[in-house]
Amino acid sequence: MSKASSRIGYCDGISRRRAIKIGGTGVLGGLSLPHLLAMAEQAPLATPAKAKACIFLLLEGGPSHIDMWDLKPNAPSEIRGPFNPIATNVPGTQIGELMPRCAQVTDKFTMLRSATLGDGAHQTGVHWLLTGYPPNFADGQAKKTPANELYPSLGSVISRELGPRGAVPPYICVPNQSVAGGPGFYGPSYAPFVIETDPVEPDFEVRDLNLAKTAIDEKRFNRRRRMLQQIDRLGSKGLLSGGKDSPGLSGRSAIMSTYYEKAFSMVTSPQAKKAFNIHEEPEALRERYGYHQLGQCALLARRLVEAGCRFISVEHGSWDTHFDNFTGHEVLAPSADSALAALVTDLDERGMLDDTLVVMVGEMGRTPKINKDAGRDHHILQTAIFAGGGVKRGALIGGSDATASAPTTPPMTNQSFLGTIFHLMGIDYNKLAYTDVGRPVSIVNGGQVFEELLA
Amino acid sequence: MNIRRNNTVRWRLLCAAVVMGVATAGKVGLGAALVVNPVEINFDHPDSSAQLLVGRILSGETVVDRTHEVQFQSSDPAVAIVNRRGVVMPRGDGHTHIVVVDGEDRVEIPVRVARYASPPLVSFRDEVLPVLNKAGCMSSSCHGKQGGQNGFQLSVFNFDPVGDYEAIVKGARGRRVAIARPLDSLFLRKAAGIVPHSGGPRIHPGSAGYNLIARWIREGVSYEGVSPAPVVRIEIEPADVVLSFKQTQQLRVTAVDRNGGRRCVTVDAVYESNVPQVASVEETGRVDSSDVPGEAAVLVKYMGHVSVCRVTVPQPGVAFQRPPENGFVDKLVWDKLQRLGIAASEPADDGMFLRRVYLDTIGTLPTASEARAYLEDTAENKRGLLVDRLLEREEYAVYWAMRWADILKVDSVRIGAQKAVAINRWLRQQLSANVPYDQFVRNILTAKGTIAGESAVPVYQALGEELGPSVSQLFLGVRIGCAKCHQHPSERWNPRDFYAFGGFFTGVATQGPNLVPVAGKDLENQFLKTGEKETVPAAALGAEPADFSNTQDRREVLVDWMTAPDNPMFARLIVNRLWAHYFGRGLFVDIDDQRETNPPTNEPLLDALAAHLRDLDYDLKALTRTMLLSGAYALSSVPNEANVRDQQNYSHASYKPMPAEVLLDAICQVTRVPEKFNGWPVGYRAIQLWDNHVPSYFFDIFGRPARLSVCECERGTEPSIAQALYVMNSPEFARKIGHRHGFARSLANSQRTPQQIITEVFLSTLSRFPSVAEQESLLPAFEQQDRRMATEDVLWTLLNSKRFLYVH
Repeated sequence: MSKASSRIGYCDGISRRRAIKIGGTGVLGGLSLPHLLAMAEQAPLATPAKAKACIFLLLEGGPSHIDMWDLKPNAPSEIRGPFNPIATNVPGTQIGELMPRCAQVTDKFTMLRSATLGDGAHQTGVHWLLTGYPPNFADGQAKKTPANELYPSLGSVISRELGPRGAVPPYICVPNQSVAGGPGFYGPSYAPFVIETDPVEPDFEVRDLNLAKTAIDEKRFNRRRRMLQQIDRLGSKGLLSGGKDSPGLSGRSAIMSTYYEKAFSMVTSPQAKKAFNIHEEPEALRERYGYHQLGQCALLARRLVEAGCRFISVEHGSWDTHFDNFTGHEVLAPSADSALAALVTDLDERGMLDDTLVVMVGEMGRTPKINKDAGRDHHILQTAIFAGGGVKRGALIGGSDATASAPTTPPMTNQSFLGTIFHLMGIDYNKLAYTDVGRPVSIVNGGQVFEELLA
Repeated sequence: MNIRRNNTVRWRLLCAAVVMGVATAGKVGLGAALVVNPVEINFDHPDSSAQLLVGRILSGETVVDRTHEVQFQSSDPAVAIVNRRGVVMPRGDGHTHIVVVDGEDRVEIPVRVARYASPPLVSFRDEVLPVLNKAGCMSSSCHGKQGGQNGFQLSVFNFDPVGDYEAIVKGARGRRVAIARPLDSLFLRKAAGIVPHSGGPRIHPGSAGYNLIARWIREGVSYEGVSPAPVVRIEIEPADVVLSFKQTQQLRVTAVDRNGGRRCVTVDAVYESNVPQVASVEETGRVDSSDVPGEAAVLVKYMGHVSVCRVTVPQPGVAFQRPPENGFVDKLVWDKLQRLGIAASEPADDGMFLRRVYLDTIGTLPTASEARAYLEDTAENKRGLLVDRLLEREEYAVYWAMRWADILKVDSVRIGAQKAVAINRWLRQQLSANVPYDQFVRNILTAKGTIAGESAVPVYQALGEELGPSVSQLFLGVRIGCAKCHQHPSERWNPRDFYAFGGFFTGVATQGPNLVPVAGKDLENQFLKTGEKETVPAAALGAEPADFSNTQDRREVLVDWMTAPDNPMFARLIVNRLWAHYFGRGLFVDIDDQRETNPPTNEPLLDALAAHLRDLDYDLKALTRTMLLSGAYALSSVPNEANVRDQQNYSHASYKPMPAEVLLDAICQVTRVPEKFNGWPVGYRAIQLWDNHVPSYFFDIFGRPARLSVCECERGTEPSIAQALYVMNSPEFARKIGHRHGFARSLANSQRTPQQIITEVFLSTLSRFPSVAEQESLLPAFEQQDRRMATEDVLWTLLNSKRFLYVH
C-alpha cells in the first residue's frame, strides 16, 4: 500500500501538503459524544432535504472551462484552442471533445456556465470555495497560505448539521484533505476522516482498519476488546466505579470510550469494511470509472454514500496548466470525463441519483487568452457541474460571452453556490455558530439559493 | 442635568420595602410576608417602564421570588398598564394603583404619570440605539458586519453612533424614515417585520421600543434629543441569589446617571448566562435554574455598561463533609463546594497521585521501579519530597520549554530552524534557573542585543510584527485584537486603545546583527473615516498616556505597568494558566480571556493565588508547589454521585488529555521501543524536539499545535476515531507491542508468573498495583493462548485503557 501520490504543485510555489500542515491541527476526526447525543433530539431540518449525501469532486488548480465545457469555436485562434465541440445526448447542447463519455450522459447532469466561485488564486480560492469566507492568514499574508483555522469547510458544516447515518464517519476525504477542508472553529469533532491512501492502488485499504496488518485475528481482537472493556470499567479498588448509573470514566475519557466503540465497529463491522473494500466492485464497473485516482475515488465515494457518509470530498490535481495547457488537458480531462460520466450513470442505475448531490468544480477556471507558453492562466469564471440531489437534469444554465471571459447571465457566486448546496441538503445556511472569541458567524455569509438550478 | 426619566422616587432595597409594601389584607405570618419593590412608581416620560419585583420573605434574609406567580392589575389602564411579568408602563397623565395579588395577599403600589403628553425630545444616541442594540440590529452577524446586510450598514456594537444615525436618517436617499408618516417609515416597518425583512420581526408594534422609535421619527429624528446625563453604571437586583432546582428569579436593572438619577432599564438591557446548563436567562431578565447544581453568572449589559448577577444552585439535601484542609487553596475550594453542597471525591491513592504529578510537572510517566519505590516508601511527607524532586528534574525545564514554545509562536518554518533551536535552549535555561516570572516576561518584552544568539531576542521576534495583540493576550489575558476594527464586544476597549497599546513596540529596530532600542513613535488610529487623522499617544490598557521621559526603551515603561503590584491582570493570568494546566480547567475559561464579563468560578481563590504569587516574588516553582500539595489537587478522579456532573468546582480530578508528545514518549517508555524521528538521533524524546514540523502521523492526529497564535487552545485536546484506531490497530503501534526487544517480549521470556507479569504492566502504565479483580479479569488471557501472545494482549489492554491515555 502506498501513500496517495497526488502531489500538486502550484504556480505560487506552495505545495498542497505544506498548506495542509499549516492549516490543520487535527487532520482527522470523527464524532463527538455530545454530537451523538444531540443527534437524538435534533430539530427537524430547516427545509426538506433533497439530498442525503453529497459527493464533491474538486479539480484543484483550475480546470479549463473553455476547453472542456464551454467551447468557443468562433473565437479568434489565440483564444479558442485546438479542441472542437461535440454533440451530446441533449439536443442542442454541445461540450468539448475531451469529454466524450459525458456527452453520452449529458441528460443526467447540469452545466452552469456562469460560475464565479473563488478569487482567482489557488489557496485563497479553495478557501472561498469550501468555506464561503475570505481567507484569514495566520501571520500577515507573507506566506500567502491561508489558515483554515477560523471558518469551517462545507464538509464540516454538513457533518455538524446532519451527523452520521451509518457505520462510517459523516465527512470523509479521499484520498487527501483539501486546503481549507478542515473544521475551523467547530473543532476536531467535525474534522474529516482522511483516507490518505489511493484507491487506485491494487492493495488499497484504509489505514488502521485492517486486522491482518497487525497479524491479529478476529478472535484475539475480540478477546482484547473484552479485556479492555473490563479494565476500563474497574476502578482502582477493584470495584465497578462510579455507581451503577454512571460509567467508571468521566469527562473526555468517557468520550474517548465512545470513540473506541465506534473504532471497534469500524474495524469489525461488516458494513464499514465493505464500504471501504473497493475490490468488491466488478472489474467492468471499475473500468468504467477509470483506473486513475479520480475515477476510483469517485467509485469509493459512491460506496461510502451507500454506507451512510454525508459528504465525500474527492480532491484531484494538478489542473494548473500555465504551460502547455492543451497537452495537459489531454492527459487530465479523460479522468474527469470517465469519473463524472460513470458516477452519475452508476448512481442513476442504482436509484441513488435523486438523493445524492454530485458537484464537480475547480477553485477557478482558466483564461481564454492563450499565453506565450501555450498555457492558460488563472481566470475566475468557470463552468460548474451539478447532478442529482434535487438539481435539474440535462439543463444548461447561464452563459458566457463570446470569449468565455465574462458571464452574460447573473453569475453563481460563492454565496449562492454554498447556499444552494446547503439548501439541497436541508440545512439552514443562515444558522449562526460562535467562534472561540464569541463572534457569531453564519454558515454562509449572505447566502442565497440559485433557484434556476433546482429541479 | 434634569432627571427627566426619573421614574422612581423611593427606590429602596428590599428590606426597606418590607415596611412599606407588606401585604395588609391577607392572613400572612411574619415568616412569609409578601413584599413588592418598588413601593411607588413615578413616570415622567411616555416610553419608560418599571419592573416590579415581588417576593416572599421565608425566614431571615431569604426571599423567594414570586413575580411570575402573582397577578397584577392596574386600577386605571388609562394611566398605567401592567403585563403579567410585572412590567408597568404609563398610558396617560394622572394617578392610579397597581394591585398585586398573591392568594389572599394584596399589595397596592401607587403610580403617578406626568408629562405624558409633553415629553422631552427622544435622543437617538441615548434612547434609540439601546433599543436597536437589544434587538440585535447591529450585531456582527447582521447590519453590524462589514458591508452591512442588504445595503444597510450599522457600526458593530454601536461603536459609531453618528455614522449609525446617518445610515438610518440619510442613507438610501432618505427613504428609511418618513417624518410625516412615522409608521410608514421603511426603517420601522422592516424592524417590525411588516414588510419582508430577512432578519424577521425584531421590534414588535406596540412595544415600548416601537413606540419610542415612532415618536422619535414624529419628533423629527433628533440625534441628541434633550440630552440626558450620561449613564455611569447599572445596578442589578438581586446581585447575588441562591436558587433551588427549577426555580425562577426576575431581575431588575437600574441605570444610574451622572447626577444620581435612576431609571428602570430592565426591558432595554441585554442578558446572557455564562452557564445556561445551571441557570438560563430570558431577554426579559427572567432567570430559571435547571436541575444541575453549580454557579452561573448572568451578564447584564446596557449602553456599554456591564454588571453581573451571580446565581448559585446548590445540590439539595447534602450534609457537606469538609475534607482536611492544607492551606488557603483547600479552604477556598472547600468553601465553594460547601456552598454548593457538592461533596468532594475521596483523596487519590498514592499511585494515582504519583502518575498525575509526574505527567503534569515533567511530562514524563514514572517508570515501574520509580512507581514501586514510591508506593513502598513509608515517609510521612513523601508527597512533598516527590514534588521537590520533580521540580528539580531536567525534564521540568524540557517539558515547560515545549509548552512555552507553543504559545510564544515558535514555529520552526516561520522563524527558521536556527532561531527555534536558540529559543528552545534559552527557555530551558530560564526555566531551569527558575527565573521569577515577572523577570522572565521582562526579559522577553525588552529583549535587545544580538539576533543570532541564545537570548530573548528571537523570542521577541517570534511574537510577530504586530506585538500588541499577542502581548496583551499572552500576559494580561486581554483580547485587544478584537478592538483593532471595532469596539470590543464586551469590554471598554476600542481602536484608540488598540493603537495606544501598539505604540509601546515602535521603539525598536534591527541594526546589523542587533535588535536595539530607538526613538519610538505614537501610532495613527487606522480605524477612522476617510479624511480623518488621529495620532494616539502610547498608553497601557485603561491607563493615562505613558511617560517616556526617563527611558531609552518604551517597552520598559510597559513592563513596569504590567508588573506593578496594583495591576491585577498580570499575576491572575499566569496563575490561571498554571491552575488550568494542573487542574484541567481554568478558574476562568478561556484561560487567556480575562474580563468582567467572563467571571472566574472562584474569585476569592484566584485573587488569593495571585496575591500568593506576588508574595513569592513570582517564583513559579513555589507557586506550583502550593498547588500540587493542596488536598484539592490530590483528589481522586473517580467521581461520586453528588459530583459526577460538576465540571467547574474541582470536586474531583479531571481527565486531562496528554499532549501528543507526552503520550508518544509514554508509549515508547512502556514498550521500550523508541520512536525514530526523521533526521534526529534515536533516543530523542518527543518533548525534546524543537522542530514542530517533524513529520508524524501520530502528532497530527493527537493534536500537535501549529504555533500560529499565542492561544493554548491551538493544541488539539479532543478525542477522535483516528486516535482510537491508531492505538487499537495501527501497524506502528502493534510493532511496539510485539517488538523482539520490547517490554512484552522480555516479560514473556522471564521467569515471572502471569500474576507478576500483570503487576509489572500495571506498574509501568498506571503506576500502581492491580487490584484482585483486575488481575482476575486479565488472567484468562494466559489460559487461552501462549505466554507471549497473552503478555502482548495484557500490554495492549493497558495501553488502550482510558486511564493510561489520560492524565487523571
